[in-house]
Amino acid sequence: MISTHRLPETAFMALASAGITPAVIGLLQEAQRSKHTMLLHAIAEAVGDADPAAPGTAAFRAGYELLTRIQATDHEASEWLLGLPHVGGWAHDGLIRLDQGAVPDFAYLACAVAAAAVRAGIPFELDVPVRDGHVLLPGLGSLRVPDRSPWVRLRCDGRRLTAGDRLEAATRDLRPDDGSARSVPHWRGTPAVRAAADGLTWDVLLVTDDPYLDRYTLPMSVGLAADELRLWRQRVQSAWEVLVRHHRWAAGPIAEGISVIVPLTPQADTDLISATSPAAFGAVATSWPPDPVTMAEILVHEFQHVKLCGLMDMVPLASSGAQNVYAPWRQDPRPASGLLQGVYAHLGIVRFWREQRHAETHPDDILRAQVQFARWRQTIDTAVTTLRRTGCLTPAGVRFAEALRAKGQELAAGSVPEDAQEVAREVALDHWLNWQMRHVAADADGVASLAAAYRAGEPFPDREQPRIWIEEDARKIDSGVRSRLLNMRYLAPRRYRELHFDGIIPLSEPDRLLLGKAAEPAVQAYRDLIASSADPQPDAWVGLALALHQLPPSPLQTAFASHLPVMFEVHSCLGARTDPLELASWFG
Amino acid sequence: MTSQEQNIITIIPDLRDIPLDRLAELGSSTLAHSIALYRERLKENGVPLSSFNARI
Repeated sequence: MISTHRLPETAFMALASAGITPAVIGLLQEAQRSKHTMLLHAIAEAVGDADPAAPGTAAFRAGYELLTRIQATDHEASEWLLGLPHVGGWAHDGLIRLDQGAVPDFAYLACAVAAAAVRAGIPFELDVPVRDGHVLLPGLGSLRVPDRSPWVRLRCDGRRLTAGDRLEAATRDLRPDDGSARSVPHWRGTPAVRAAADGLTWDVLLVTDDPYLDRYTLPMSVGLAADELRLWRQRVQSAWEVLVRHHRWAAGPIAEGISVIVPLTPQADTDLISATSPAAFGAVATSWPPDPVTMAEILVHEFQHVKLCGLMDMVPLASSGAQNVYAPWRQDPRPASGLLQGVYAHLGIVRFWREQRHAETHPDDILRAQVQFARWRQTIDTAVTTLRRTGCLTPAGVRFAEALRAKGQELAAGSVPEDAQEVAREVALDHWLNWQMRHVAADADGVASLAAAYRAGEPFPDREQPRIWIEEDARKIDSGVRSRLLNMRYLAPRRYRELHFDGIIPLSEPDRLLLGKAAEPAVQAYRDLIASSADPQPDAWVGLALALHQLPPSPLQTAFASHLPVMFEVHSCLGARTDPLELASWFG
Repeated sequence: MTSQEQNIITIIPDLRDIPLDRLAELGSSTLAHSIALYRERLKENGVPLSSFNARI
């Protein structure tokens, strides 16, 4: 009879408030190793049904036997193997393939177990697959094999490894490459970084060659050149210095919990994408971060996801099936479990920027930190309220979310300079309004009734509002350039000033006025554009709302923030010549 | 009311001290149940992935 892992209540609450110790990470890691063992067992059971003569099946069996032997003789070596995010990704995908009626990549296990044996100096003999001329030893590196056979026999006496008849190397040399070791013929160590600052070190791999870690929304950056690797190592080191010197609460747990960074190839130079997969606990992925502080923020952000993925494997916090909802950091509607991930990540982000704003010295960097703090601190409470409203949280999820909310409220305290607060308010509003226009659909009959009431000069009907719902693509809206510039004011102020000064951005006149803070002329320009255009102008409606919010408070601002999609649809029904502000006053 | 000393019972079987070659002997146990539960979660949720564009 076996029991299940236990999680102390104190660890659960520490995770909820993002105030954890490396010991709590250790609890998550122990559970992940059990999870990987469980998935490995499920695959091992399936191998009984596979063709015994197939080389992949034989390799799996041999690998499994060797792992059993390692487990009995070298506990640390088997723990290392079962804790690899690579193995997590492989086992997860293997189970999915089995459920789809496909054959898992059985042979990968032999490679992974060979890596563990090589690392620990344990004698073995195994046939392993050769892919693209290489034998992958996950977590260590890869051997270039000279002949073209799809399989090669690895023999290890503990001190030396031979591959086939010709290739031989000392096992102590078959290690990840931190840039300081001498070159070993036919060996490419997985790029590694040993980041060090103020007595704290972090060992992390930069993985670009493992198919089971190529699992993110962007492809991994395969084949990084030596110069690129050097830059990645420097960036990790400098981000580590930021974390150790200003965010020690995050540094220790990150060093304990993140063992792999997967560099991603962005689709555009301006993209900054980072990601985490629950299948690969301990790995985070990111495209090239433009500066050390951004890299540090990404690590804090993605590590929040790593922790929550680990926790949700152990304790279900949310059920599926609830409606999709607004998340202030995403352009798409999110399922409730996704919103929980997002709000948890942003709890870490709030804490990061709350402290980072006191570490910065350049005015542009201070502005960025203050705006980031001001923008995200206001999202935690409302996002938890949204989550609770979906009804998707389990009782444990409710306790987790409320502890998270309480921590968010604690972190939100503190003053922010008015200029930064104003930028934060405007970019948050821009995001909300654009999301509404993209994703909130309104019932056509209800809209027609409102238009008829307006036309007839009746007062706004308080009770009967058109039914609204969330759709993937309710409307097309083309306000990307304006939104990027609004964000650029604090994310890249120098670049913004250059572009603004040169006037080389293709902006409409109303957008130019808005960005120049000429609020009244901007309101008039958007108003004229909407009233004079034969086609609906959803992006001008968003611009009009933003320009109104640059003026002193008025009921019109509330009308736009609360009813924009319905107002837009009613206006489309009435025809272009209807004045948008008069219509908004009727709503307000 | 949950006290701070309580342990939460999780859904991950504790396999830390069980040799791999003994797992098969456990038969239709907590382990089989946990694997079935995990498969069910995969079917319900797919493979969730957090992905964030910091430029939005």
